[in-house]
Amino acid sequence: MLKTLILSAAALLITASAPLAAAPKAGDPAPLFEAPSTTGTVRLADLRGKKHVVLAFYYADFTSG
Amino acid sequence: MQAFQADLSRFERLNAQVLGVSPDDVETHRKFSASLGLRFPLVTDKGGAIQKRYAPGRITYLVDKNGVIRFVQEGMPKNADFLRELEKLK
Repeated sequence: MLKTLILSAAALLITASAPLAAAPKAGDPAPLFEAPSTTGTVRLADLRGKKHVVLAFYYADFTSG
Repeated sequence: MQAFQADLSRFERLNAQVLGVSPDDVETHRKFSASLGLRFPLVTDKGGAIQKRYAPGRITYLVDKNGVIRFVQEGMPKNADFLRELEKLK
């Protein structure tokens, strides 16, 4: 029982840290997404074969960052 | 985002689509976009779901048209660096 608990906790920890470990870098495929925007729904996959993309994450509107 | 707008024609000439991404809703994005005269889309990343699949913080990616990440820059993006990398993709 204790062993199961420890294994479960370990599995949870690994799962929780996965997104950081999996952060994509140059040479990796860009994770696809679909989301609303000021010009309608944007799908990264729709730009495939057509345009390069500068994907700029920032904190919030009306801030300098 | 103003900086991207200032160089938008250069990005467009290099066949690049600029996308700004933050958790703000579309209505807030529209107001922000109008206030700066932005002519590229601002994407709503509700709950940060998209960014969770990339990396946290102020970070900018250059994705080539084959869907491969070619360049990553943390902090305030420097247009010159992205334009230089785009030139390499010509």
